[in-house]
This record gives sequence, C-alpha cells and structure tokens, in this order.
Amino acid sequence: MTEKTIELTDLRRLWDTYSEKRIGVIGLVIMLVFIVMAVFAPYIAPHDPYELYNPMEPPGPDHLLGTNDIGQDILSELIYGARVSLFIAFFVSIVSGLIGTILGLLSGYYEHVGFFIMRIVDAFLAIPRLPLIILIAAFMRPSIWNLVIIFTILGWPITTRIIRSEVLSLRTRNYVEAARMLGAPDSYIMIKHILPNVFPLLVVRLVVEASHVILAESSLSFLGLGDPTAKSWGMILHYAFMYPTIYISDVWKWWMLPPGLCIVLTILSLMFIGYALEELVNPRLRGMTQV
Amino acid sequence: MHQITKIAGYVTIILAVISFNFFLPRFMPGDPLSFLTGAPGMDMPIVLDEATRAKLLAYYGLDKPLLQQFADYMIKLMHGDLGWSTYYNAPVSSILAGRLKWTLLLIGTSTLLYIALGIVLGAISAWNRGGKSDVGLLLLLLSVGSFPPFFLGMLLIILFGVKLNLFPVFGAQSPFMAYSSPVEEAMDILHHLILPATTLVITHIGGVYLLMRNSMLNVIGEDYILTARAKGLAEWYILRKHAMKNALLPITTMIALRVGFMISGTILVETVFAYPGVGMLLFDAVMYRDYPLLQGAFLIITLVIIAANFVADMVYLRLDPRLRHD
Repeated sequence: MTEKTIELTDLRRLWDTYSEKRIGVIGLVIMLVFIVMAVFAPYIAPHDPYELYNPMEPPGPDHLLGTNDIGQDILSELIYGARVSLFIAFFVSIVSGLIGTILGLLSGYYEHVGFFIMRIVDAFLAIPRLPLIILIAAFMRPSIWNLVIIFTILGWPITTRIIRSEVLSLRTRNYVEAARMLGAPDSYIMIKHILPNVFPLLVVRLVVEASHVILAESSLSFLGLGDPTAKSWGMILHYAFMYPTIYISDVWKWWMLPPGLCIVLTILSLMFIGYALEELVNPRLRGMTQV
Repeated sequence: MHQITKIAGYVTIILAVISFNFFLPRFMPGDPLSFLTGAPGMDMPIVLDEATRAKLLAYYGLDKPLLQQFADYMIKLMHGDLGWSTYYNAPVSSILAGRLKWTLLLIGTSTLLYIALGIVLGAISAWNRGGKSDVGLLLLLLSVGSFPPFFLGMLLIILFGVKLNLFPVFGAQSPFMAYSSPVEEAMDILHHLILPATTLVITHIGGVYLLMRNSMLNVIGEDYILTARAKGLAEWYILRKHAMKNALLPITTMIALRVGFMISGTILVETVFAYPGVGMLLFDAVMYRDYPLLQGAFLIITLVIIAANFVADMVYLRLDPRLRHD
C-alpha cells in the first residue's frame, strides 16, 4: 500500500465519524454558505455597497433590505461584510495558531525556554483582552491590517499554553524516547513525532480562535474602532446603533437584525464544527451526547 | 514558595501594564502631545506655533528625558493622579471613582446569577444525560451563548423595553427622581439593572453550564455514586449530596478566570444600555478621543481584574491543600 491510499482511506473514515454528529454537518453547511457569500460577493451582491441611493428606504424590490442612513444598500453591505469578518477570522486564527504551535512546541520540549515563555503567556492571559484591544485600537489608525496585528498578538498565548501541555505529555511517550535514543535530532523529533500528534488539538483550537476573533472584531467595530472603510457586520451594527430612532421605528428589522444574525450564525457554525471536531479528537467524549 | 512565585508574578504583570500604559502614547505614530490635549493628529489636527507647543510640552513634562518622565508618571500614579480628562474637564480619578460602583454592581449581580444558574442547569443536564431536557438545554445554551452581548442587549431593549415596555432601556436610575424612601431608590436601581444583568447572564452562562455538565458526567461514573444507589438513597439526595459537591471543585478555578471575560461583556452591555459604569466611560473616551480618560479607565479595569485573579489564586491555594506544598 502506498502512503497516499492510506491517507485517502483515513480521510474517508474521519469524515464518516465526523458526519455522525448532526450539528457538525449543520455547522459546516452554514460556514460554506458564508464562505461562498464572501468569495463571490461581487457577483451575488445586487449593488455596490459604497454606492449612495435614497437614504432610509424600507425594503422593496430594488433594495431587498432597504438602505441605511446614507443610502447604501444594506443587503450588499451584508454580503460584502462576510468578506471582512471571515478574512480577519481565518487569517488571524491561522497566523496566531502557527506562532502558538511553534512556541508551544519549543516551550514544551525545552524546560528553560518553556518557563520563560509561559511567564509571558501568564502575563498576557492576566490582562483582560477587550479593554487592551480597545486601548491599542484607539491609539492606532484603524485599518484591517492593524486589527489583524492586534488580534494575532493577543491570540497566540492560549494556543501556546494548550500545545505546550500536550507536548509535555507526548515527549515522555515511548516512541519519542526511542527516537531520541536512536540519536534523532530534536528538530526531527518535534516535526516528525510530536507535531502530527498535536495537530488534531490544533485544528480544534483554530476553529475556536476563529469564533473569538469574529466576536472581537464585531465588538470593536460596534464600538466604532473598526476599519471605517471596510464593510463588516459589526460596523453596520455600529451605524444602526448610532441612529437615533433605531428602536422605536421598524428600521431595526432590516438594518439591525440581519447583520446581528449573520454574526450569530457564523459563531454558532464555528462552535458546532468545533464541538464535532472535539469529539472526533477526544475519543473519551464520544457517545456522551447524541446530538 | 509557591505563594512567593505567584506574588512576584502578579507584581511583574502590574508593572508591565503600567509601563505599557506609559509607553503606548509615546511610541505610537503621531504626536504624544495631541493624545494629551485631546486633539489627536488623525481627526482634526490643531496647528500650534512653536512657542505654544514648547510651552505645552514643558507643561506636560514631555520635554524631559524619557526615564525622568517615567519616574514622574509613577510618582503621580502613587498619589492617585491619573491625569486630566479633556472631555469632562475633570481629574480622571474622580470620574472613575463615581463610575466604579455601577460596574461592580452589574458584574457582581450577574456573576452570582450566572454561576448559580449554570451550576444547577449543568447538574440537571448531566443527571438526565442524553435525555430530552439535556439535549434541549445544551442546544439552547450553546445557541444563546453565541449572541454577541451588544446584539443581545439591543434585542432585549426592543422586546422588553420598547414593545412590552416592562423595563427602562437606559441608565442606572431614573433621571431627576426625588426618592421618597431608600426602598424606592433600591427598587428603581434594581429595575434598571434587570435588562443589562440578564444580557450578561445569558452571554456567560454557557461556559459554567458546560463545565459543570462535563464535571458531573465524570463524577456520575464513580463507584461511590453506584454505592449510594445500592444503599437505596433517593435520586435527589444523591444528586445533591454525592454528585454535585464533588463536581463543583473544578468550577472554582473557572470563576476566577471568568472575571476577565466578564469585563469584555460589561463594556459592551454598559454601552448599549447607557449604563454609567467604567465600561461606558471607556466607550465615551473612545468616542470623544479623550486619551487620558481612556488610559485611566484601562488601568483601573486591568488592576481590578488582576486583583480579583490574585484573590482567587490565594483562595484556591487554601481550598486545595495539595497545592500548598509544591
């Protein structure tokens, strides 16, 4: 048997186990819809989201979700919003996941490096995240890349801690000891023997981190600290919230509800995917819930 | 030994936060002076002539060497001087002092509620694992937990504040009220507290619930539960006396960690409900580009949370004697 066929049957078996969990499949479907929305936004959106029409128009055939206070088509804003929110979420979770994995591997494998890195991690985790994000964002010029930098800086410590504790238990396993006795260099052991075993845990962590970033980005945009030129769901909510009669008139139904529900559905789908993956990764949890 | 390391760790973190707060405006792009005088370069630059500029720099001590500035900053901080708010035109410390009590009230009430509710619901869920109530609770709490606090708050305002007109939608007290008795005042404050506290409880209950549920599921598999059943004890009695008590241990660590999460939700909820706490002050500071106020609020929030974590750590050391001899 070649290595490739092993991988294919493995993937097949993984999918079979994953799809046993209904919520995992539901989460994946919702996420795919949003990804399609984000990727094909220019083809799906009925209007240019920056184009100005009549302000405050209620939903009608031309503007399915009406227009906002400066006359932009809300449905088009929503579709383009998927781009910003998903891009930031996935980009940050992957980059901070990468940094966290490298530091987690090093700090789990080398005791002294580990002690040093973990003190930095402790410091990061002791400081409340959102106030710190608000403070930095208020001093920096708000732009998508600045948000990405801020979220990445704050995202790696948790990943580092999770990966490290796994590495600590893995490095005492027999096969790692055996590899070391055969004279394998540390880098080889880390990449060939430890990394593949922390990978499943890392995938779950990436999904969880992505949902945290979506929440953080929308919170920041809601507070008016997002990129003012980028259409994100939190930004739409920010302008809706600042509109004086948002609660009293019917406007909230098409201006506030849709972007809010988009955020909820995205976070929910990531949570469902993470939940199903976690049962896949941690066999002890399997069979505890029949959802 | 363990305690000393812990305390040293906390002192380092506090020093790091203070230095970060000091260096941030000085190392960010833009003029540190503009951050202090309330007109940051990016929004509406105020053009100063050289003489006024030099005078202002001297007034704020920005012409001194960096180390000297840092020392001055630390000394001022020790005296409780957090700077001057450009928007409110008042000392930052006195503004914060007036706001802190509302935030503590909001966080305190909702923390007690969501922990109690989360523990009870988690225990019920685990006891009926796989049953309808378990699956229902799990799906419900996971779904409401994915609502961002600001969105949930806005929905509650529309439903309970505007449509049903049951609760006030902003503030912590009715404006211009002359209370006839302290009871009336307390009722008014409670009335204003219900919606923001509910929002926070709903956002945070999921975490405690899931942890309690998992912890209970582990305990239920233990032999002593089987023994209790074999003795013919009532189900309710076993749940309370044998299962829940043991399942509660891991929850205590979580409560400490959650205080930090709480503050994020509180900032958003206070903003949505115009609740006059420190969180809303942070939002106002951002809106009006009041940097001294922003930094002061950040410092106080962070110090309160670090203090809460420290207390929790010490309590945990007492609770679990095994940790003391490490």
